[in-house]
Amino acid sequence: MILQLNYLQGKPAASTTQEVVDTLYSLLEEGRLEQEQFARMRVHLDWIQYRKNFRECVMTTKVKRDPYGQPSPLEMYIDLRQLTPATLRAEILRAMTGEDSPAPGHDRVFLEDLRSFRESITWKFNNLYWHRLADWEEFTGRGYEQALPGGKSDANHPAAVADCVADFWTLLRDLESRKQLPEEIFVLEIGVGMGKRAGLWMDRFRALDEERGTKYYQRLKFLLGDYSLATLDRSRPAVKNHLNVCSFIVLDALNPMKSLAFLRHKILHIHLTNVYDNLPDEEFARRDGRLYSIQVRAYLPALQAHRISEEFQIPPADIPKTVDRLLEGGPDYLVDRKRGVAFWQEIWRALRLEERLVHLEDLPDIVLPIGLHQEQLEEVLEEAPSDVRFHMSSGALESFQNTVPLLHPRGFLQVQDIFVTNFDEYRIGFHGPGKLDGSIVNWVNGALLREVGERAGYDLHFAPFHYRQGSRTSVLYSTQRE
Amino acid sequence: MALPLLPTTVVGSYSMPGWLERLKTEFYARRISRRDLDEIHDTAVKAAIKDQELAGVDVISDGELRRDNMIDYFAERLPGVQIDHTSKKFHYDFYDSKVLGKLPMGPLGLVDDVKFLRANTDRETRFCVTGPHSLAKRIRNEYYPSEQDFALDLARVMNPELRAIAKAGANIIQIDEPNYSGFPDDLPWAVKALNALIEGVDAKMAVHICYGNRYGKPSWEGSYRYLLPGILEAKVQQLTLEFARRGGEDLEIFRELPPRFEVGIGVIDVKTQAVETPDQVAERIRKALEVIPAERLFILPDCGLLHLSRDVAFAKLTAMVEGTRVVRKELKH
Repeated sequence: MILQLNYLQGKPAASTTQEVVDTLYSLLEEGRLEQEQFARMRVHLDWIQYRKNFRECVMTTKVKRDPYGQPSPLEMYIDLRQLTPATLRAEILRAMTGEDSPAPGHDRVFLEDLRSFRESITWKFNNLYWHRLADWEEFTGRGYEQALPGGKSDANHPAAVADCVADFWTLLRDLESRKQLPEEIFVLEIGVGMGKRAGLWMDRFRALDEERGTKYYQRLKFLLGDYSLATLDRSRPAVKNHLNVCSFIVLDALNPMKSLAFLRHKILHIHLTNVYDNLPDEEFARRDGRLYSIQVRAYLPALQAHRISEEFQIPPADIPKTVDRLLEGGPDYLVDRKRGVAFWQEIWRALRLEERLVHLEDLPDIVLPIGLHQEQLEEVLEEAPSDVRFHMSSGALESFQNTVPLLHPRGFLQVQDIFVTNFDEYRIGFHGPGKLDGSIVNWVNGALLREVGERAGYDLHFAPFHYRQGSRTSVLYSTQRE
Repeated sequence: MALPLLPTTVVGSYSMPGWLERLKTEFYARRISRRDLDEIHDTAVKAAIKDQELAGVDVISDGELRRDNMIDYFAERLPGVQIDHTSKKFHYDFYDSKVLGKLPMGPLGLVDDVKFLRANTDRETRFCVTGPHSLAKRIRNEYYPSEQDFALDLARVMNPELRAIAKAGANIIQIDEPNYSGFPDDLPWAVKALNALIEGVDAKMAVHICYGNRYGKPSWEGSYRYLLPGILEAKVQQLTLEFARRGGEDLEIFRELPPRFEVGIGVIDVKTQAVETPDQVAERIRKALEVIPAERLFILPDCGLLHLSRDVAFAKLTAMVEGTRVVRKELKH
């Protein structure tokens, strides 16, 4: 058995680790765990920093039957944060048998078939959250920024914004000295949210421009991009002093080129904060030198499904259908909106993901994110730990690849987000998916992004966000690759 | 073979297949031999020639598939240029190269490439050489008092090779100078170096000036206005320029270009995988014809096709040829 201790916290975690080992041995001795199973086991102990996530406190990951009859790993993930010693044994047994409840008729309620995480129904919940944010916020009584760690976004840190403006002003000055400054100075922010950062940025840019007398502000065209007009409307008050230089553009963060193709090679600065960590993602794992895709299946644990069924008077068998309708039509579908939002939030709170490893040879049609070639992935993995579970960050890679063609040849991209910049980091912590209010959060695979960036002609640099102590955010800067 | 009206041609490079990239990397990792790589290059070049012929291009190149990039292929051949062979990660990266003393004279070994091209096609040929301005901008100068002096000496060393290339049968020799657009103030001395390079070369001489195509993206933006009047001093017969991606606004600038200049207009955007239709190509040619007479017009892509996938590159060339045929027919009536 391989016991992998990831990011653990303090003495309680250490003692629980001991109890996990003791429990597994006792199950072996009692014959409830076979020797061969025990030998193939990899037990991962985590301290998941996202209090709300998609895992039960003990989860086993099955492996699709190996066509070559090779022994397959048996994975067990234990979240020491959720686990209590009193229930440890029962939880391990539950996870190993797949039986949720001793009561007959109380089974897991599956909401989909096994599939890649990026195709999972969970992303429909994520979309619903952003499209019906006002309903969600009204029901919970708090804005989404309050759900962020620290209760506010690093995007709006005045010193960070001032430094970004200073860098941009320097770029404009340099271009002007070379007689290459375009007539119109385009700046794009993708995922503007409440527009606070955009407002701060333009305030600062105008002030600096006036102070230096460079008259750049009057040439500025600031594009605020987000997924819907409703969201963009929420950003208007924050930029009310700059409306004459602002344009509000509905765009898909996965493919900004679709809406902005007319600005190809024209935008001098593009900024995104906390967008990449919320784009569709999928996970892979390398075990014993073999690469596996991790497929998922969303479900409601038996007890929660039963509770929801009683509370909303919906038979358990009808829950999947009701969820589909919720995701298609929004919370109004359930007669009154308030009840619909309550149902939505209960389902989301209970939602878990079952996992299965599928060897890549069994997925000949697997599509890597655009911009990432098979040989690049192999090259990166050569440097990575031999046993590693990692995010592909497909959405982030796709977004990057479909954003950089908008950049002016001398323009730069800046992304504030949570990045894993080295594959080793995957061994020492949990990087998602977690639940952040009604949305999904995943750390972004910066190492793969760096590879894709190089092939697209950009060197990508990651710097810690030093403006707030304890921040987990990093800042990605792009520079031209000569 | 007489060329038709509105001859179609290429700017130089053809699509670099993924498998060729991987094999080049294998070579750098010493997993395949020089001899094997040469054979692979020969095969790839023959395929590139065939594709251009099948697409119906009138004046073709060797696809430049032997080249890592537009600088290193020459830097490695120039006597006196020192190369740090450990300095690049991918074959298309630039080496860290420098000059520490006066460049000695010596052959560059490009003539064999021309002979290979001539031996494998009966079409007219175009052979491309990176110009002294672009080379001087990339190779670190630690000897000459100025970039201008360095570029002029590069021209001196490379001139005999160009004469030999012409003798070997290249119909058009194109000098690639994308860096003009990034450093417009250099134009007066850059043109002097260009003239020194091509002096006495017995072939039709062209200069290709675009806005860069590194990694399939531009390196600069701006207007071709900077080219005038400086470029009129160039002793070339043809200017080849990027218009498809940038739109035709700059075309007007060339209305007063002296008749001694032909213009190769880019009608294929090489920085997108989206394939133009023949109608789009025809429209771009018609727009150019409003400014430049048909007798002085060559039709080509904006730049090399290096960063496009092979099927896209082939489809784009085919669209270019078909669009040109449409306009030729219109001109006959």
